[in-house]
Amino acid sequence: MKRDPIILLVVAVVISLMLVFGIQKTRHSQTSQQGGAGKLQGQTAPDFALASLEGKTVKLSDFRGKAVLLNFWATWCEPCKIEMPWFIELQKKYGAQGFQVVGVAMDDASPSDIAEFAKKMGVNYPIAIGKEAVGDQYGGLPYLPSTFYIDRDGKVIDRVFGLVSRSEIESNIQKAMGSSGQVAQK
Amino acid sequence: MMLRIGVCAMVLAGFAAAQDFPPGSRAPSIEYFPPETATVYRGHAKPLELQFRIASGFHINSNHPRQEYLKKTELKLNAPTDIAIVKVTYPAGEDRSFPFSPDEKLSVYTGDFAVGVSVRPLKTVLPAKYAVHGTLKYQACDNAACYPPKQMPVSFEIKVVKDPNANKRRNPAQSPHAHR
Repeated sequence: MKRDPIILLVVAVVISLMLVFGIQKTRHSQTSQQGGAGKLQGQTAPDFALASLEGKTVKLSDFRGKAVLLNFWATWCEPCKIEMPWFIELQKKYGAQGFQVVGVAMDDASPSDIAEFAKKMGVNYPIAIGKEAVGDQYGGLPYLPSTFYIDRDGKVIDRVFGLVSRSEIESNIQKAMGSSGQVAQK
Repeated sequence: MMLRIGVCAMVLAGFAAAQDFPPGSRAPSIEYFPPETATVYRGHAKPLELQFRIASGFHINSNHPRQEYLKKTELKLNAPTDIAIVKVTYPAGEDRSFPFSPDEKLSVYTGDFAVGVSVRPLKTVLPAKYAVHGTLKYQACDNAACYPPKQMPVSFEIKVVKDPNANKRRNPAQSPHAHR
């Protein structure tokens, strides 16, 4: 049986694309169901009060009325470092419209080391020193980065685990800002 | 020609399949392969190799990561009394960039790697088998996410025996006047 090379190539490309898109889709649906975090979607984001790098208290409920990007990260997490400049830019871009990035460092480094790292990165949003109990409230956070998008009413509208593109982050921010208690449709 | 295209097609499909997997779809795993029980002479150092295998799709930082804030891979051993861990030798990291940071090279271990350990029982140790326990500290990442630092238990056994040459003591030179 003679096989047309073009057909073979097309089949390979189609299979490759299916695999890539399948992986992307699985990834998103998995992030939607990840651990206890899956139960948070559409629910009020668990409140917490954590010490900030400046020694103040960061309370999530204090941001009620704003759309919040809640990012759990660590200094040892390279993909987390990639997102930070995007968060800085997006905070500048949407801050005036009632948007707030809140970082929570799930780190075993000292607060001074975390502060130094944040300073080097030019972070322009509050960073709280995380606690395991808070991580547990958000599903256990088996890996980082883990980001929750919270609308102005304090409800979790989406959460993403692992590094995603800047455009996906921005799109989720816009959803959080525009959402009135609507859960992102997947 | 057709064969070449077929091979290309399979490589392309395989490449796509191996590209990435959703973070958290599987936990990073490292397998440990302890060395066979090594016979070690008292008072002598013996080099051993502890073999590890990192599951595909994951990497861990080398013992000398390029950035100070990254967690280095480190072997901590608690040897029994009178058995000294003379030296721990780590392999050089592989300089690699990853999709999350294509312009930056990280010093990492992937796949198989071995940590060298040099053990030396003191001359006073009783000949017997001894177990050395410890932990491998590492912090794994995949192409999109990082997992909290972990400690993996590690152990191996050595059999301490007398140095056969230790009995062949040379008689001290005797004075010609000793037996007078």
